[in-house]
Amino acid sequence: MNDPHQVHWRSLDEFADPQLAERRGESEFEDTPLRHAEAPGRRDFLRATGFVLAGSAITGCSRAPVRTATPLPTQPEDYWPGRSDQYATICTACSASCGVLAKVRDGRPVKLEGNPDHPLSRGGLCAVGQASILSLYDSHRLGQPHVSGKPSSWEEADRAILTALESIRKQKGAVRILTGTVTSPSLQERIRAFAATFDNARHIVFDPLSSSAILDAHEALFGARVLPRMRFEKAPVVAAFDADFLGTWISPAEFTRGYREARLENGKPSAQAWHTQFESHLSLTGGGAEERVRLAPGQLAHALAALVARLASRAGARSPAVTSPAGALPDKQLDELAARLWNARGRSLVVCGLADVKAQKLCAYANHLLGNYGATLDLERPSLQRQGSDRAMSGLLQEISAGQLGALFVHGLNPAAELPLDKTALEAMCRIPLLVSLSSRTDETAELARFVCPDADPLESWGDAEPVSGTVCIQQPVFRQVGHSRPAMESFAAWSGKPATARDLVRTHWRDSIHPRHGGGLPFEEFWRASLQTGAMEVKPQSRAATALRQEAVEALPAPSAEGMTAVLYAKTGILDGRHAYNPWLQELPDPISKAAWDNYACVSPAKAASLGLADGDLIKITAAGHSIEIPVLIQAGQHDDAVSIALGYGRRESQRFSNPGPKWMYAKPTTGADGLVGVNASCLLRWTPETLAYHRGVQIEKTGRNRELAVTQTHHSLTMPPKLDPGGPPRPIVQETSLVQLSAPAEHKSEAHPELWPRDHQYTGHRWAMAIDLDACSGCSACVVSCQIENNVPVAGRDEVIRNREMHWLRIDRYYSGTPENPRVAHQPMMCQHCEHAPCETVCPVLATVHSSEGLNQQIYNRCVGTRYCANNCPYKVRRFNWFDYPHEDRLVNLVLNPDVTVRSRGVMEKCSFCVQRIQEAKIEAKRLGKPMADGDVAPACQQSCPAQAIVFGDLNDPKSRVSQWAAQARGYRVLEEINVRPSVYYLKVIRRDGEANGGGHHG
Amino acid sequence: MIQRILTIVLSLGLLFSLILFASKFGSARLPGNQQGYEPVQPIAYSHRLHAGELKMDCLYCHSGAMRSRHAGIPSGNICLNCHTQVKATFGEVRQEDELAAKENRKPRQVTSAELSKLYQGMGLNPQSEIKPEAVTKSISWTRIHNLPDFVYFDHRAHVSVGVACQTCHGPVESMERMRQFSTLSMGWCVNCHRESNLKGIQGRQVNASIDCATCHY
Repeated sequence: MNDPHQVHWRSLDEFADPQLAERRGESEFEDTPLRHAEAPGRRDFLRATGFVLAGSAITGCSRAPVRTATPLPTQPEDYWPGRSDQYATICTACSASCGVLAKVRDGRPVKLEGNPDHPLSRGGLCAVGQASILSLYDSHRLGQPHVSGKPSSWEEADRAILTALESIRKQKGAVRILTGTVTSPSLQERIRAFAATFDNARHIVFDPLSSSAILDAHEALFGARVLPRMRFEKAPVVAAFDADFLGTWISPAEFTRGYREARLENGKPSAQAWHTQFESHLSLTGGGAEERVRLAPGQLAHALAALVARLASRAGARSPAVTSPAGALPDKQLDELAARLWNARGRSLVVCGLADVKAQKLCAYANHLLGNYGATLDLERPSLQRQGSDRAMSGLLQEISAGQLGALFVHGLNPAAELPLDKTALEAMCRIPLLVSLSSRTDETAELARFVCPDADPLESWGDAEPVSGTVCIQQPVFRQVGHSRPAMESFAAWSGKPATARDLVRTHWRDSIHPRHGGGLPFEEFWRASLQTGAMEVKPQSRAATALRQEAVEALPAPSAEGMTAVLYAKTGILDGRHAYNPWLQELPDPISKAAWDNYACVSPAKAASLGLADGDLIKITAAGHSIEIPVLIQAGQHDDAVSIALGYGRRESQRFSNPGPKWMYAKPTTGADGLVGVNASCLLRWTPETLAYHRGVQIEKTGRNRELAVTQTHHSLTMPPKLDPGGPPRPIVQETSLVQLSAPAEHKSEAHPELWPRDHQYTGHRWAMAIDLDACSGCSACVVSCQIENNVPVAGRDEVIRNREMHWLRIDRYYSGTPENPRVAHQPMMCQHCEHAPCETVCPVLATVHSSEGLNQQIYNRCVGTRYCANNCPYKVRRFNWFDYPHEDRLVNLVLNPDVTVRSRGVMEKCSFCVQRIQEAKIEAKRLGKPMADGDVAPACQQSCPAQAIVFGDLNDPKSRVSQWAAQARGYRVLEEINVRPSVYYLKVIRRDGEANGGGHHG
Repeated sequence: MIQRILTIVLSLGLLFSLILFASKFGSARLPGNQQGYEPVQPIAYSHRLHAGELKMDCLYCHSGAMRSRHAGIPSGNICLNCHTQVKATFGEVRQEDELAAKENRKPRQVTSAELSKLYQGMGLNPQSEIKPEAVTKSISWTRIHNLPDFVYFDHRAHVSVGVACQTCHGPVESMERMRQFSTLSMGWCVNCHRESNLKGIQGRQVNASIDCATCHY
């Protein structure tokens, strides 16, 4: 192959040295210290023999332990032990408030899945939402109130708080309630009622990942502080400026579904769809865009202004002056984009994630010029998923440092870790006479607070949400409360002097305020029951007085100032603002782009790294205005040379527990850094501007000469051909791309005869299970990875084991770059066991622990496996995972999250994707019980169920009408490594490159 | 010489232990095989009486077998469907009646010792009225049929195709105290699946899978 840029590569060193990728394919297992251990001696042998003899004698003679079975005294109707039920509730892992179905088995929730009936998320659930079930079973969660750091009772805590409040009320002291966005109307009502009992009380809302600038811009332009609901499903043409809307921005699951829908026309790839992303840091959203424009952080707003000027001239409207110097911006791309947007007026979206009110006004103006308000931007039913105000927060901080507050209640936020607070600010916070934290864990703020009144987990308490004005959902408890935490709603009710249970509070609010907004004439009880059953109801939106756009409020940007290196603080998929830092599943989830797990790092462009002499893992010191952090470097393709990006949400107190999450063995290294925490808290680099908290800031970078290895999985599990097996052969077409032109051309004859190694003797007379994955739809969001991990009891290995290539994920997403390291295109390929018809693993297993089933499954039988690992060595897709250890299962509370339908594997056993055979069995048996044949869609593996992009289908290939058969037969359909003819059961649909630059699909070589 | 003595001593020892174990060889079983397990239960419940003499349907109490993987042990309220009326054996009632006639008084309410454990668990007084203050307490029965953690058996699949309960559980209707009738070993399961595929169940053709993943996942 001549042009290395026409193929895919996974890491920068593979780009530089095409042979490297293939050499990596030679050894699946990294070097292990055990290999260098001495051979066992005679004594060891005798010891082992004696142990085996004694062991077999003991197991042969003993009776099994006595087990009891305890039925309920009175079994409720329609409840059967061993059968799982699903309850519709809300995900509260972030303020997007997606709908979930909690799968409850024998009285305990074991899995959260997307609720297909929810009007926003429509069945999707992101990685964070999936993983949030662990919060319920977290044994570090506070089970009772704490006063001055000591466990206390609710009576005692309430009495002390009420006494303090009484004296504040008398002195007319200032009371502030600081929360994140509260989507729950009942809780909002409680906070309002509580604040109303004081003369000087205010509810302040702040979001660590803020959209305050959008709200402020709309207040200035439309006279109402609203966040319009973005309807990506109606917008085939999207221009995004620094907004990672498929990964972390506002409501990613909802947006991913809409984005995917807009890119289809009658189920076929739409020719009009176009997405341009302007950003300085390669994001999940930018990686898949048709066009990605790499700009310095300071240029992003100016590019938006230049786009507005172009749109305004087409519309013949007034435009604010463009202040950036000529030639500094990609004029040609902006011209083309303006034309595309203009042609798709009313069917396009311009979104901007910058924390800059002027830029947001320009963005709103662009959408106004394009006629998107009322079409793709909904102001009638605006989003309530972000309500925070950065200005209110900064005002509160001033009040705190001036010592003006009598009481501060903090709920759903951790300001001590999320804000750039210095020592004096923290001390001022400690000096507040009454500081109450409602945090469920002892976070940084709870440590300062005199009273910690833990909020209950959403899976064990009543609540509600109105994520979009007019869409209301109920949160219902699915588990008996662990400990004695108390829902925030009940706490505020108690402190207002009107104690009530959360259920009564929600029901009262729904009866008085929400049911009257429902016009259907349904009696309240039926309305309530219908809401509980479906998970969401549509009612009349709250009225908001939005006026017509005031053009004069749109301002020009200040002229760009010369900037050096700029720190870009971003939210990482899975970690977001850090409130789930306690969650090992999310910590071990590799970032969809950098593929790094367990730590945060400073992304630096390859050119910048070369000029500074930096290599991956080098610790650098990043300094801004007296604050500095030390953080390892990750050289990231697609990064702008003047930007260094760092994920927020790390270095949290709750990550202390991960000093050693994986196996305890003699070579194990801690997962946490020197300070006992996972990653580094970068929030000290955030910067207050007069209007917002800015995520960009000029910084200085210094090399420290020290080093910390990062757990990056990007080069693990290579599918390339080792050069010694095929010297000079063509690259393997692993991830394949196509263009719309190629697709519209008549289908070429696909059947290329490959040599058959085995006779085709599998009959498949019944079902023939298969999966198809649309690589064009897959955004790489990794919801499936976490979903699979939870469903199948996959252990968390810890940072050290990940570095050793021993992550246990059954489903991984391989990320491939194409193009140049400066501005690569990204393709994501979910990779799991391919359930080959001629599986190479099956032929090498000496004990028949992996065999083919009559329905096309490649079965892995744990109790038969003796751990030779031949199968993993012989697997061309590198999807088998070996249990090098028994992973810890000592925490009895956490063990409740284990799926009772899947065996917990022990040491020395191989495991891999089973196509969720437990769900296949359940669906088959249930069909048998009901006496009807199985229908397409009866079986949804965990990965398919949760996919926000609907990129995965599963079903019976023997049924020509099934969706999987239809997908497999598409012109885009192919199977990975078809040339080796192991006949896999997983079909992939090629990535579509609408800009006509489809890569043949070769991997480096 | 020493070597020779040592050899003799060792072989004698081996012979001795072989003789010692020989008597046990006849009852040798594979590890994990609990066939014949017949533990004492907290209430001396008689399957012979209920399923045999009174001919009650198995699924009346073990209704989970139709709906769930577990057949389930009936909850107390199922027992009370009859046992609010029937509180003692016929013999005990008659004995009381005779005694009352002899002593020339009205016969007293008789409650059998075993049933009073049920009433106690359900929070009922001897007149089987619910005591409002009573706390219900579940009865912990000893499980007889235990499968290893890596085996997933489902009652639904078997009951819905018409496999008789006795096929696996044996003549329960003649057991005073319940015991494990079958070996519950894998060979025993697979044999039945193979035979059912050939012979059918109750005259109907069935498809009993012998794939590993039918039970192991």
